[in-house]
Amino acid sequence: MSDAVLVVGAGPTGLAAAAGVASVGRKVILVEKENVLGGAPILSGYAKLVPSGEWAKDAMGRMVKRVADSKLVTIHKGTKVTKVEGGPGNFACTLANGQTVNAGAIILGTGFTHFDSINKPEWGFGTFEDVVTTTQMEQMVAAGKIACPSDGRTPERVAILLCVGSRDRQIGREWCSKICCTVSTNLAMEIKELSPSTDVFIYYMDIRTFGLYEDKFYWKSQEEFRTKFVKARIAEVTRSPDGRLLVKGEDTLVKRPIVIPFDIVVHAIGMDPNELNPEIARVFGVGLEKHGYIERGEQYTSTFSSTRPGIYVGGSALGPEDIDTSISHGLAMAMRAVGDLAAMGARAAA
Amino acid sequence: MSTTEPKGIAGHGAFFQPTNLSPEDARRATAWVEKVVDKRTVDLGERMDDVRDHMWELEREGEIIVHRITDAHRPRMVKTLFGWDKKIPTAQLWHHKSCGQCGNIPGYPTSLLWTMNELGMKPGTDYLDETDQTSCTAWNYHGSGIGNVESLAAVFLRNFHQAYVSAKKLGLDAGHFYPLVHCGTSYGNYKEIRKYLVESPELRERVKKILGKLGRLVDGKLVIPEEIVHYSEWVHVMRNDIVSKLQKIDVSHLRVTVHMACHYSKMVHEDAIYDPEVMGGNRAATGTGMAQALGAQVIDYSTWYDCCGFGFRHIISEREFTRSFTIDRKIKVAREEANADLMLGIDTGCITTMDKNQWIGRAHEKNYSLPIMADIQFAALACGADPFKIVQLQWHASPCEEVVEKMGISWAEAKRKFEAYLAEVKAGKIEYLYDPKLADSMSRAAA
Amino acid sequence: MATYAEMREIYEDITRDFRYEHELNGCLNCGICTATCPSAQFYDYSPREIVQLLWTENVEQVYDAMQEKIWACAQCMTCAARCPFKNSPGGLVAIMREVAIKHGMQSAKDVLRPFGRVMLKLITTGNQLSPDMIQPDHFPDWGPNIQKVEGDLKTLRRAIPMKTLQTTDTAWEVSLKTSVEMYTIWEMTGVLKSLETMDENLYDVIEDFIDEKKEEYEDWLEEQEED
Repeated sequence: MSDAVLVVGAGPTGLAAAAGVASVGRKVILVEKENVLGGAPILSGYAKLVPSGEWAKDAMGRMVKRVADSKLVTIHKGTKVTKVEGGPGNFACTLANGQTVNAGAIILGTGFTHFDSINKPEWGFGTFEDVVTTTQMEQMVAAGKIACPSDGRTPERVAILLCVGSRDRQIGREWCSKICCTVSTNLAMEIKELSPSTDVFIYYMDIRTFGLYEDKFYWKSQEEFRTKFVKARIAEVTRSPDGRLLVKGEDTLVKRPIVIPFDIVVHAIGMDPNELNPEIARVFGVGLEKHGYIERGEQYTSTFSSTRPGIYVGGSALGPEDIDTSISHGLAMAMRAVGDLAAMGARAAA
Repeated sequence: MSTTEPKGIAGHGAFFQPTNLSPEDARRATAWVEKVVDKRTVDLGERMDDVRDHMWELEREGEIIVHRITDAHRPRMVKTLFGWDKKIPTAQLWHHKSCGQCGNIPGYPTSLLWTMNELGMKPGTDYLDETDQTSCTAWNYHGSGIGNVESLAAVFLRNFHQAYVSAKKLGLDAGHFYPLVHCGTSYGNYKEIRKYLVESPELRERVKKILGKLGRLVDGKLVIPEEIVHYSEWVHVMRNDIVSKLQKIDVSHLRVTVHMACHYSKMVHEDAIYDPEVMGGNRAATGTGMAQALGAQVIDYSTWYDCCGFGFRHIISEREFTRSFTIDRKIKVAREEANADLMLGIDTGCITTMDKNQWIGRAHEKNYSLPIMADIQFAALACGADPFKIVQLQWHASPCEEVVEKMGISWAEAKRKFEAYLAEVKAGKIEYLYDPKLADSMSRAAA
Repeated sequence: MATYAEMREIYEDITRDFRYEHELNGCLNCGICTATCPSAQFYDYSPREIVQLLWTENVEQVYDAMQEKIWACAQCMTCAARCPFKNSPGGLVAIMREVAIKHGMQSAKDVLRPFGRVMLKLITTGNQLSPDMIQPDHFPDWGPNIQKVEGDLKTLRRAIPMKTLQTTDTAWEVSLKTSVEMYTIWEMTGVLKSLETMDENLYDVIEDFIDEKKEEYEDWLEEQEED
């Protein structure tokens, strides 16, 4: 029997899981397909995280360091698991680099893929330079200057469109991506802070700044940063002859169709299932739920189980998730893995 | 903005790079943006329904017969909105004419037949134009509410059954000719009705009785086409052949705007062609693809997505709406914003609306005029077709003479020749694109 | 003014249509349909309002919308292509129009009146439109450039190089057998019956015409047998 735990994916979930397993003195094998640890916040260049306001590089940096410094953690970067044999207590996993690793339990922190806005062509991304995504806008914030990508002018008006790639049956994405409302209100404040002459409008269906994010983000963005919220989903984005973008919507509270000019349109992009999930499901022998995320096993007494015994899944591999919650999932999975291994060990000794 | 840095897919990349990240981290941070996660490659699993899959199931269960597009139809593959494949037959076509085109814009079908002839297609084997067909009746339905799903379905199945069996009288096999739907509204309506037919056993049961009474079942089954194909899709897949084999006139100086028909791109919209070569694959491709291939300058404009204002009943009884919408949201924008020489359409109603509702704008001090024609009429002109005899521009109310002149064709000369031809027509000397005998299937009784 | 029971019956007729479930899944009230609706720009019409009224079973307001609003829809179906819930407000309007006709509502009669010529043409020939319906003098608002070549309609039509198009009273030549098949479809799908409810005079004209054509077809069939 192997008492090591294999953790797949080194984002917030996987890093938290690895640290958790190591904290009780168990060995961890951490496999990350990229050459860099840190997951989406690092790979996708997030700026300041919600809700802490810390730079992604600093926050994730601490999580990476904690794991990298641990003598109990062996890290395999730039490789993937290609084959899983055995079962709980004695998994034998082959890596793409040819190595074989043995583990008693497997934790999947395989995360998500950002929605690619070109899949919603009528909203202008990929057609007009001044249509950008939230992550690109965060990069702009990080650079310290708000300007139109097309010609560098300071925008007078910025529109943030919520639910891009979420809550949209037309493109088979029926889920709410959970965190875009909060991220967008935060972004609106950052834009205003850097560029006081810029007005930010958020186009929404519902605002889902859940829990304590309500006043900290939604209210604050209005009260202190004059962010305008319009209850409207945008139909199409086109460009007027003066180069400004035209946004077509209905102000549903005023009940009239409107066409409004903007200098920058930001897509608050949602979270897709990891595009590699079909491969992950095949390699690890786990099920996918109907949206394409990894399927849960029984939730109440076998929390974070996948559909295959001995393999646990959490974070945004299960569905759209925020970083803080993903970290808790990681720790909870560590508990599950070491707990189940300990029980197995006890049974074997008896 | 730096010009030495790569621009990335949406013009991003260089501009976003000077963050507080190290250059290498920054490159890595934005590289993902360049990776296209296209819905056209993502497996949507069972969440996005493709009606064609259910058709094959119904056929296996012995419920229906699917009129197949075979190799003999020399199909070409295209991609639709979700990256699904669609087969477009290019030969052995049954022309399903459009009442609005034939009645009002006859140069639309004649340009299409002329182009087919010029490409060497043989009437009677490569295509058929016959009298045993009706309108789809959807204009009437959308306009007045008279009719119902059952009547629309019966009309659809009747016409497509006729297409299926039409070759028999020429001694050819059933299924030889594949329907090519000329009208956008027919195309959209047939696709919607096909969906209902596939989904509803009750509807199938009801229309089966009707089709049975008409003698239009095959082995007691309904015939449903594998694909519903619009003429503009045929034009789109043939555009490079048309240009390389037939084009005679340079149109690179012309500024062209395209109006995308709602009933092509918005009804059962997952079935419309999106082509990475046309507007980055971000807008439905037909019409625009043909104009680009001809070398014209295709100009984008801010109301590209807007409807023309046809409205089915509106063009008859709410003309104030129709003309206001088409002038304000189409003609004026194409003229003032895009400075267009020409607006191309791919559908009957839109071309009628935009073509006929310009002059009246003067009454409201909106004096905008713009030549309006179909993609295939423009292509035929560029390939040397006669503006009167073939392209039949004499039926258009918009100033098509302007664009003809800009193409270096003398309108006055062509008109003089056509007037001379009219004298011959009166004397019974008529030229045909198509052997008139082939047109008669079950000829009119006393007529 | 209709009673509540009558309005309820109309509402239920709408919801009984087999397409109803297909076209109305619920509503997020995002307004994307109205944003992109051409008619919303000109009329007091909003597809979102139609959806909301149906979804909330507001039978009085549904009835009210059927007096005028549903006829404002241009049936472009942009709303259906955009709706993130995959509703089809335009499709719902089509159902409501059918129901308005079924119940002989005055609004439907008013709307149908200018459609008489199209109806007559369609029902009797299978063509919706013909060249002789669109003579320049019928449409002075189309301007003087509508006919770029002088000539009578018949000659101009004969100068179209497709035999099937050399007609004036239909868009293309429709074979008699085809027209007769159409009559069967109209009869069996209840279309003639709904026409009778809506416009008795038009219905009478059409009936006479159909009878005549059917006879003509019978005669022709007999001739064929004799040959």
